Amino acid sequence: MSMYKIFTVARKEMKGIVKTKSQMLVGISFAVYLSVMTAPVVKTVEESALVDQFNNLIFYFVLVVGIFVAYLFSGKVFFNEKREGIIETVLCTPLSLRQIWSGKVVGVTIPAYLIALLTAALITIIANIFSTTMLLPSPAIFLHIFLVVPAFIAAAVGLLGFGHFLLGMRESQILNISIFFVIFLALVFTKNVISGGYAVSWVEVGVLLIVAVLLLAPISYLTRYLSKERIVTTIP
Amino acid sequence: MIEVQNLTKEFNGKTVLDCISFEVKEGEIFGYLGPNGAGKTTTMRIILGLLKPKSGNALVFGEDLGSNDNLRRRVGILLENDGLYEGLSAYENLDYYSQLYGISDRGEKIKNLLDFVGLSDRKDDKVGTFSMGMKRKLGLARAIIHDPEVLFLDEPSSGLDPEAQRMVRDLILQLSKEKRTIFLNSHDLDEVQKICSKIAILHGGTIKAYDKVENLRNKFSKPIFEITLIDTADVRIALDLLHSLDYVSNCEEDGLRITVTLKEEKSSTILNVLVNNGIKVEEAKRLAKSLEDVYLDIVKHSGGER
Repeated sequence: MSMYKIFTVARKEMKGIVKTKSQMLVGISFAVYLSVMTAPVVKTVEESALVDQFNNLIFYFVLVVGIFVAYLFSGKVFFNEKREGIIETVLCTPLSLRQIWSGKVVGVTIPAYLIALLTAALITIIANIFSTTMLLPSPAIFLHIFLVVPAFIAAAVGLLGFGHFLLGMRESQILNISIFFVIFLALVFTKNVISGGYAVSWVEVGVLLIVAVLLLAPISYLTRYLSKERIVTTIP
Repeated sequence: MIEVQNLTKEFNGKTVLDCISFEVKEGEIFGYLGPNGAGKTTTMRIILGLLKPKSGNALVFGEDLGSNDNLRRRVGILLENDGLYEGLSAYENLDYYSQLYGISDRGEKIKNLLDFVGLSDRKDDKVGTFSMGMKRKLGLARAIIHDPEVLFLDEPSSGLDPEAQRMVRDLILQLSKEKRTIFLNSHDLDEVQKICSKIAILHGGTIKAYDKVENLRNKFSKPIFEITLIDTADVRIALDLLHSLDYVSNCEEDGLRITVTLKEEKSSTILNVLVNNGIKVEEAKRLAKSLEDVYLDIVKHSGGER
């Protein structure tokens, strides 16, 4: 029953995100733009470094796109619902605050992850168009795509949701701007990734997986400190 | 059914509710009146478990709604925000909430509710395209989708045009006939007067009055009589006579009509005095004090807000 409630919220949030065409368009455009701008770099790379360069691109951009899209969708799901005051009515339903929060996290993570997967697919397709040899992600990168990326997206959404529920409107806006700045910085580092010179291994992927799990655990624990009173008294 | 006992709430050291107590029995329509900022919404939020009181209890069905998720299935709410998603259609909004309440036969129930509030023909339209009145009606449908025993309504007709206000009021009256207990937060005295059986008046964080509407009218209003005389020549004599009575506090003359305010209930004595002195009285009637008069008296006498 508890999972049914969480998935009811998650389904509604996913539906809402997919139906908001402008937001989907921004997310998909971002994925397409980064893939088109970065993947062709493989044609300039030496044959020996080709596979590593390709793996680096996927390792980095799939995560950046996933987190950016998660940030984009979280605003609608957490921030807007609080700003409009709808959350007060939802808090009076038979769902606990953790169930509402969890449902929203799942509801944002799934579409954000799908767009991250789209990025992985696009980079692979475009890179192969420009490459003389067949390029496929390494097993470590597969683990990264199917485990690390969704875990990081879920952690990012969980933290953003926690922040939006906990903070007042002005503080939430500051949080939004700060995160946008961090994502912007991440994109500035794009040049370093494209220039290559190193290869992502199991170690990096493993470390990131541990970081993601370490992030998820305390965020989930932090929600214990959320209260309905805190949310209601910070509604504008 | 709803018990509020010695409830006190503070925000940043400022007391917004000061030891308030009242009870709403099963099937009652309870009006919770007070000016803006009096603490009505805060009280409702505490009862709904959205806020924690500094001291005291707010119980529904003998339990705290905030700590019992399942108990909230028996309670419906319509807050100042309708709780509707503007990007979803009327049907989708009701469908979502019915899933949150775990309703199995949703389709039929939603169809009936949309008929009830007169929005069947707009069921597939996005709520963002609705007028305020339509949103309020749909909000009401949402609030009763799970057939609650108790309904909390916060300013249900606030901000609506007179026609929409009437529609919402009619809907509430229809709901009250279904023997639901209704807790109505309002500053619309006309609405409360027409709908509620019992009221509490909140001002400055304390309950200033709590009783049935009729009892409050009698309790808080001084008896006022309107006496219509037959002969113009009697008006001056009647006024002199009335002024000489120590239980008359005020007399106002308007042609043949004299409005007399008494300090105490002595309506029959007044008539006897006039008739015994040969004054011909065409009609004498007690003027009922409206809830608005009672409310304004209470608010005026209790001084400014905190």
